Amino acid sequence: MSERWSAFSYLVTNLARLIRPDEITFSGVNSTFPMLACLMAKRAYDWDFIYINVAGGVDPDVEHIPLSSSDPALAHGSASIFSNEDFYDLCTRGRMDLTFLGAAQIDGEGNVNNSVIGDWHHPKVRLPGGGGGAVMLPTARRACTWRTEHSTRTLVNTLHFVTSWGGMDSVVTPIAVFKKRNGRLALESWHPEVTLDEVRERTGFSFEHDGATLTPRPTGAERDALQSLDPEGRFEADAAVTIR
Amino acid sequence: MSSSGHISKNKIIALEELAAKIPDGASVALGGSFLHRGPFALVRELIRQGRRDLEIIKQSPGYDIDILCRTGVVTRARTGIVAMEGNFGLAPWYRRRIEEGNLLLEEHACASLTAGLRAAAYGVPFQPCGGLQGSGLAALNGWQTLEDPYGSGESVYVIPAIRPDFAVIHANEIDAQGNTRVLGTSHWDRIMSRAADRVLVVAERCVDTLTFVDRPEATLIPYFLVEAACVCPQGAWPGSNYPDYEIDYPAIDAYLAPGEDALERHLASAPEVRATAERSDTHV
Repeated sequence: MSERWSAFSYLVTNLARLIRPDEITFSGVNSTFPMLACLMAKRAYDWDFIYINVAGGVDPDVEHIPLSSSDPALAHGSASIFSNEDFYDLCTRGRMDLTFLGAAQIDGEGNVNNSVIGDWHHPKVRLPGGGGGAVMLPTARRACTWRTEHSTRTLVNTLHFVTSWGGMDSVVTPIAVFKKRNGRLALESWHPEVTLDEVRERTGFSFEHDGATLTPRPTGAERDALQSLDPEGRFEADAAVTIR
Repeated sequence: MSSSGHISKNKIIALEELAAKIPDGASVALGGSFLHRGPFALVRELIRQGRRDLEIIKQSPGYDIDILCRTGVVTRARTGIVAMEGNFGLAPWYRRRIEEGNLLLEEHACASLTAGLRAAAYGVPFQPCGGLQGSGLAALNGWQTLEDPYGSGESVYVIPAIRPDFAVIHANEIDAQGNTRVLGTSHWDRIMSRAADRVLVVAERCVDTLTFVDRPEATLIPYFLVEAACVCPQGAWPGSNYPDYEIDYPAIDAYLAPGEDALERHLASAPEVRATAERSDTHV
């Protein structure tokens, strides 16, 4: 019996696995998981990529990992500042290879609601809003998201409001990885400690799962990289994310 | 004839005087992003002066709009994403105001708000903005599309100009004339300073003009765009101001405690209040 794979590690590791060699990859505000994933990929893999972030950092040499994913610490050691207007313009002119965007609700096509629970004009819950999403999701070459809760209220058939359209390329939750196939999110792999039935029961939209497998466990390099980023488990404790 | 610029060689005034320039009902663009380099001392001064009916314009406000909601100063907002961030989650008083129907929100993507500011800065009535296809925000705000008049067949959303009455920027350095320097990322401060009718600056410190002359390309805002400024060390508290100080997380925890007492204590413990107290002590 191998050791348990925490939801926190599952999320960060599978987000890091979405990053590809050489590509321009962006992490933004309110995005602790993608920030950790980008920093993890830099440490865990033997190839490099171009990491830019909302603090203006370009391949920063981050000395201490901040709690806020827009902290100026993420520009430490950067040889240039690529500011907010710059990275949005880069995206709309078609040169953002990969951006991570947050999501409160995700539908089966990978569209996103970040605005409200309930009616927009009379919301039950006013959410933060989509930030870059409405502009980045349709214009980035790939956009990926994560959700710390895998349930029928977060992965839904019908969004309460379409903040951002264009379909996420991939979605990572504490128990599953979805990838867009023919315009719909399809299951790519699932957490080895849950069943396919459980993933299906906890997902509000229908999805294909042909060829889906158990998610490969973290490699030694991935485990070491995450350990070095969060040696005291501070981020893991803050995230308070669980499989169930 | 009045000038289009601000020629005065001494623009440094007190924080109280700077805030007093912003009248009830004004629209105010605030610099910085979330908990980073926001003009928070001035925001608190607006509260102390009992300002009402402000419109806040900012792509990613957090603490600033939340405390203005908490104190009933703001009634309208144009924003892209609103949260306390840095693991504090939603901005609670902002959220409550909207859910109670007491804050009129024009919800943007960050880049559509920037497009509106660009239109104002460029002196044109609207500005194309990439993306936005399929987003409910377009219908909500009545944004129109235009077909490329040069025949590419492409359509693009156009965002009406957003021209704030004021832009308030928190900067690292200023000189007496108003030349303004920001270290690290400038977030959206540059476009705000070009889009707004009037520009006010709160700076950590005042330096000699020669410091700016040494590296003119590092000046974010030239003096003639700046109407007035004040010097307020630690003025971005409880947020960060790179590279001088980081987020004061315990102070934000204390701010988030419910009740009038918590708010009073928070406002009383702000650096600009402590500085005033120390000044009057020295004068006695």
